Amino acid sequence: MRIPGLGNAADNPKHAIPGNDPEHQPRARDGRAPNVMRIGEWVPMRQHRDDEEVDFAIVGTGAGGGTLACRLAERGFSVVAFDAGPYFRPLEDFASDESHQSKLYWTDERIVDGENPLQMGSNNSGKAVGGSTVHYAMVALRFRPEWFKARTLMGYGADWPIDWREMWHYYDQVEDDLKISGPVSYPWGPHRRRYHRRAHEINAAAKVLARGAEAMGIGWTPTPLATVSAPHGDAPPCVYRGFCTLGCSTNAKQSVLVSYLPRALKAGAEIRDLAMVGRIETKNGRASGVHYFREGKWRFQRAKNVVVAGYAIETPRLLLNSANQEFPDGLANSSGLVGKNLMVQGNQAVWGVFDEEIRSYKGPPSLAISEHWNYDDRGHGPFAKDFFGGYSYMSQGPLPQLWANTQASAHGLWGEALVAEMQRYNHVAGLKVVSEYMPQERNRVTLSDVKDQYGLPVARITYSWCDNDKALNRHALKFLREALVAAGGREVWDQGDDTCHLNGTARMGADPRTSVVDADCRSWDIPNLYVCDGSVFPTVGGVNPSLTIQAIALRTADRISSRER
Amino acid sequence: MPTLSDRGPRPPERHRGAQGLSGPALKRRVAPVRAEAAVHPVVVLAAAAIGAGLLTWFASGRSKRLGPAGSEGRRYARRGSAVTASAAQRLNHASTMLAASVLFDSGLEHYRGQFFNRAMYTPIIVSSVTLAASLHGAGDTDPGSSRVRHGVQALAGLTGLIGFGFHAYNVGKREGGYSFQNLFYSAPIGAPMALTLAGILGVIAEHVRDADPDAPRLVGLPAGPALALATAGMLAGTTLEAGLLHFRGAFQNPAMYIPVSLPPLAAALLARAAAKPAGANQAGAKWGMWAVSAMGVGGVAFHAYGVARMMGGWDNWRQNLIDGPPLPAPPSFSGVALGGLAALELLEHRPFRF
Repeated sequence: MRIPGLGNAADNPKHAIPGNDPEHQPRARDGRAPNVMRIGEWVPMRQHRDDEEVDFAIVGTGAGGGTLACRLAERGFSVVAFDAGPYFRPLEDFASDESHQSKLYWTDERIVDGENPLQMGSNNSGKAVGGSTVHYAMVALRFRPEWFKARTLMGYGADWPIDWREMWHYYDQVEDDLKISGPVSYPWGPHRRRYHRRAHEINAAAKVLARGAEAMGIGWTPTPLATVSAPHGDAPPCVYRGFCTLGCSTNAKQSVLVSYLPRALKAGAEIRDLAMVGRIETKNGRASGVHYFREGKWRFQRAKNVVVAGYAIETPRLLLNSANQEFPDGLANSSGLVGKNLMVQGNQAVWGVFDEEIRSYKGPPSLAISEHWNYDDRGHGPFAKDFFGGYSYMSQGPLPQLWANTQASAHGLWGEALVAEMQRYNHVAGLKVVSEYMPQERNRVTLSDVKDQYGLPVARITYSWCDNDKALNRHALKFLREALVAAGGREVWDQGDDTCHLNGTARMGADPRTSVVDADCRSWDIPNLYVCDGSVFPTVGGVNPSLTIQAIALRTADRISSRER
Repeated sequence: MPTLSDRGPRPPERHRGAQGLSGPALKRRVAPVRAEAAVHPVVVLAAAAIGAGLLTWFASGRSKRLGPAGSEGRRYARRGSAVTASAAQRLNHASTMLAASVLFDSGLEHYRGQFFNRAMYTPIIVSSVTLAASLHGAGDTDPGSSRVRHGVQALAGLTGLIGFGFHAYNVGKREGGYSFQNLFYSAPIGAPMALTLAGILGVIAEHVRDADPDAPRLVGLPAGPALALATAGMLAGTTLEAGLLHFRGAFQNPAMYIPVSLPPLAAALLARAAAKPAGANQAGAKWGMWAVSAMGVGGVAFHAYGVARMMGGWDNWRQNLIDGPPLPAPPSFSGVALGGLAALELLEHRPFRF
């Protein structure tokens, strides 16, 4: 039982230990790992020697890898999980400073091209133990059931090899583990169990969304979020600090760093921070371990099974870079699809000025949502749908530096015009979509000739919209504009080029010729090599992917343990 | 206490004209000149509340002990008067508890709401005078009623009802209307009714003092059963309020189920007691009422633990007392349960020692 305020260091920043820098010195070592819930405290950690053949070497500790590591360790397997990023202590290391907190992003060099080059780094990749969930917006949504059979039922993309009811079962588990705070009843989709915490109070920006939705005659709801509205163990309820996408310093946010990883450690998993995996070794058609760089030198960890969970850029990069004589085109790549079908999601926004104060940065950024256009396939009148796929849209809460950046880049303001616009920061509200883009083989991750600080080839990321994506963008922006005006917004302008989330570069499927992994995330080519992150998505849907990634991770762990036992 | 210059009240005029917003011209914002209050506004409010309470106390007249030299020249009180006097006092204990709960709870919550609407000062003043009148009555063993106390209690009942109207309007006007979301986070719809309950119990106390000691009646009904059923209903209402807010807290601690399970049980015992013949033994219901009373007091400790589980715990009390579970809320259960005990006294037709 934790009684804060009674001498517990967690409540007194003065008790912080000076001079420990997680970005340069690994913290998870010497048989212990940071206790992220308490300042200065540690938890014991089981450790393995490099030459000890562990059951699972997992590359990545984010939504996919971290969740999987937890479940596998709890099933009794020996697990070593590698992460290239630092092991942060949120209570000590997270400042209320946007620039400083960019330390959470994966800002290593990457090359982007294509007709619509992606902006990498801030809102789509993280470099920390816990992965991008350390700075994600906590939006915890389920896929629409039909999306799992998108090709058969809706005529686009590809079918998933998993039935939606099975996914529903695993969604239930993740929502319970993370104590998702959501509305009492969710307006869209089939029945789901009640969320384990009530939805948060909505802020003025969310009320703008609500007014707009009501004026447009569509439904809205408080967003299900992975930040608790009532205590959960050592996690206090959210205090609406508003720095969610820059690292939650109170631990109300149920990132993998504070939810699944402490459980994984308790169950005997080892986590290696600041450990960059550069190559997977194979022997006689099976993966035999991983080469990784830690504390100044390359090492080799032997493993019975290898799981790649580096998200949709680093996963194909690692598989492709592991090409050897046995697998000259890269691992798991007999279909030639590793790195292809990269899917992002649209993240366009409309912004407007309101007479009343909004202060949209108060509380979590996306407190209200409408999933109407994920579930309405036809639309009518000016909003008849002429494209495949759907979108959800949410209220927004950009912090000042991000907002100034948006104004300078997307809105093209500079100098006095930018300063004048920033004066109205407190009166601005916006609506932002998360929309479904189509899988295309031309959108892909390949290796370039440039080498990074580890001497590994840098990923080249090629991305272009197709006509369907552009039609969706037009529909979304038009609808959002009307909704924002209906809510009282003036001087409405579009931010038309933003994207978010990365999926689909090692898609799962039922046929080895058209997919990289099977329904259990096991590669068709190498029986002890798994991919467990957003890369396996055949389609992305119009919702944030983290909950689905985590549900797949739990399912994968269950499938693995039922096979191995 | 002198305050720092940045702690003063906000300038009331914060809305900037539309032309100031739309124009691209850069306008300098100049802080308006304002006089600094020498004392914190909350101190002024507390002083006003205490003053109103003291005035009420004095206006209610002297408390009189029932003695050989009774004011009406009667040597011996009639047989039943010990029961009605005890029940009346107990009813005033009940209204004291409720009024105190409302005073501190509305003070805390309306402070949290920054007294956004001037009407938000009302329950603090009204519950203060109700508290004074109730305390006054609690010490009064005289069979006769007090007109000042009666009036004050009636005012409290009315204020609570008006507050309920304000709160209901506040919930309904928000985006989404009467949804769970707004019931959770806008003005708590049931809270003002606690003041009404205090008023009702206080008014009943005065009526019981005035009633025929041998066959006390309330609004034409036998006092015992009527009061028992009324308090059973009040317990049910208070349970609904606690249930709503504990549902908001997702019943994250199993103890949060106690105030939604024990009081309805006790209310059922009370209703059963009302159906028993006059003078029957009411031990079961009595224990039920004492259990609910204890729960109300114990709830403060649970809420204190809840405050400790907020970010920063008690070190950060200035935020967490406001945003955490409200410490003054649970004793309103104790208040209603004391009213139930008074009903049981009337039903058993003998004063309880406890």
